[in-house]
Amino acid sequence: MIKATALREKLVLPAIGELLLSSFRPLLGILLAFIVSAGMIALAGANPIQAYRALIEGAIGSPQSIANTMVRASPLLLGGLGAAVGVKAGLWNVGIEGQMYAGAVGATAVALIPLPVPSWLHVTLSMLAAAVFGAAWGLIPAYLRAYRGVNEVVTTLMLNYVGIYFASWLVHEPQPLAEPDAFYPMSRIILPSARLPILLKGSSLHPGPIIGIALCVVAYLILRYTPFGFRTRLIGSNPEVARYTGMNVNRQILFVLILAAAMGGVAGSGEILGLKLRLYDFFVGGVGYEALAVALLVMGNPLLVIPGALFFGGLKSGAASMQITTGIEAPMALVIQALCVLFVIGVGFAERRWIDRRKQKVTEEAKANGY
Amino acid sequence: MDIDLLLNWLQASLRLGAPLILVSIGEVYTERTGVLNIGIEGTMLTGALTAVAISYFTGNVFIAALGAMVIGGLIALGHAYLTVTRRANQVVSGAMINFFALGATNVMFARLFERERERVAVFPVLSSDGLREIPFLGQVLFSQPLIVWIAIILPFISAWVLYRTVWGLNIRAVGDHPQAVATAGLSVIKHKYLGVLMSGVFAGLGGCALTLSELGYFAPGGMTAGRGFIVLAAVIVGRWDPVRTAVICLFFGAADALQLRVQALGGIIPYQFLAMIPYLLTIAALAGLVGRTVPPKTWGLPYDPKEY
Repeated sequence: MIKATALREKLVLPAIGELLLSSFRPLLGILLAFIVSAGMIALAGANPIQAYRALIEGAIGSPQSIANTMVRASPLLLGGLGAAVGVKAGLWNVGIEGQMYAGAVGATAVALIPLPVPSWLHVTLSMLAAAVFGAAWGLIPAYLRAYRGVNEVVTTLMLNYVGIYFASWLVHEPQPLAEPDAFYPMSRIILPSARLPILLKGSSLHPGPIIGIALCVVAYLILRYTPFGFRTRLIGSNPEVARYTGMNVNRQILFVLILAAAMGGVAGSGEILGLKLRLYDFFVGGVGYEALAVALLVMGNPLLVIPGALFFGGLKSGAASMQITTGIEAPMALVIQALCVLFVIGVGFAERRWIDRRKQKVTEEAKANGY
Repeated sequence: MDIDLLLNWLQASLRLGAPLILVSIGEVYTERTGVLNIGIEGTMLTGALTAVAISYFTGNVFIAALGAMVIGGLIALGHAYLTVTRRANQVVSGAMINFFALGATNVMFARLFERERERVAVFPVLSSDGLREIPFLGQVLFSQPLIVWIAIILPFISAWVLYRTVWGLNIRAVGDHPQAVATAGLSVIKHKYLGVLMSGVFAGLGGCALTLSELGYFAPGGMTAGRGFIVLAAVIVGRWDPVRTAVICLFFGAADALQLRVQALGGIIPYQFLAMIPYLLTIAALAGLVGRTVPPKTWGLPYDPKEY
């Protein structure tokens, strides 16, 4: 034990080497995950190369499958961003799943009201309602974390199930949102004026993924270049310094968690307004946790959420065609996703080291800014 | 309420509470050492499938239980390696275990069984017919399978170990004052590993109880349905005490049983609100609305031997 630590301390890599290694870490982790998954596919009785070929074909093989990948990536982009913003601030928003349900409820409610406004405004209002509902879902964990010091992991996690059952209650009769005499609990179909347009004929590609990509870029710029973003990164990497500079740390925590939850809400609305057109009972089905996985895979970088979400989206749409070609069940995608994240956090540098480096960087920035 | 309905509900409460109690026993230990294991949901799921598969091929429920515990322990060792040795975030590792388990059980189930809902051997009911005919107790208590009885007795043994043995003292100390444990010349890392290992072993057993207490089959697609998270909730509301946590598990089991009955028969309160109870109660407990809830001091934090 002591020997190993001593050895590690001797192995101080030059700065460039360390940078290269740290950026290769996710890629190396993903590579290892695919190697292990290949073993599992072989164990399950299929040819891994054939399976992976079908997977890639299904993810990016044709305009149709690319559209499919984009559609699957849509909630992962927005939800992944919701989790990533938190990760940057050292806050764990495990509640994307519940926030998606809350956002979907808000969006569906507004999308069912006949409004005398143009379609683009109706859609926008529905999405804003989703953001407000999502934010409301984040309010309690955010307040408890900021002012009472209650661990946000457990509170956001618990609210997921509250969100699931809340949405479930609303789509059961006799609640006003529910479709009467439905074969499966669902809401009434949303009004045509509140629907997102289809971008590619013959596919279900809606503008959701594009909105998601745009928001990721905006979030990156805000985090990188504004005082708000700086404060967010500072509480994530060095709360003591943040407090020492006299900034209102608690208020920052509150804002960041609520903002993150609002993103989760918008993620839920995209699914309703662009894809499903109804709020179905249990419609999220774990996508909120996948969004969290995306944020973890890219270690909270909003810009990297874009490739991360597209990668996971591709895995999901590809897995469907893998099932058809090789008979390996589509949930294999979940296994690959989990292994990717596990290998990324398990491979190479311990997380602590990464945090230490980030801490140093932001503290230097604080000094340079005259704090 | 109809007396038969009441008896039936009490019986179901115990049956639904038993898997929760079994899982909670290990989770109390791991959280006492400071390591949160939210992967118990997935571990339970894996245990459930393992138990059904072994029972299917061997017909022996005890080997099945043992197998589920071994698999659970192996998964927990992975969690311990990542969170204790590599000091990775506990939520990340736990959440990915859940993912992995959901996907893997789906794929494995399709490989192992040709038909859905293949029935396998389940835990026996040991009580004699005479005991079972005792009014009230007969139906509620004596018609329960063996595993439910184990779940009723285990929390007391667990409490005895935690409060009355040196090992239990060490476990409690590791979560509250790791430095003190290290100063006393004991290995903090080793105790954390043992705590996490227990959470996996008992989550596996809990999964086994879920499928082999009465059902006798495995349903792919996440049949644990958030029970692992309910246990997390119970451990917090039960304030990291084995017996109090077991009581809360029973209460949550009763809420679940009631919810299922309201769903089937209809009632004044929508069943969704009953299903929310465990989760809302946990948030209330953490917010300090229901007594004082103080987690172990290093709850959820990584331990770096160099920091002290």
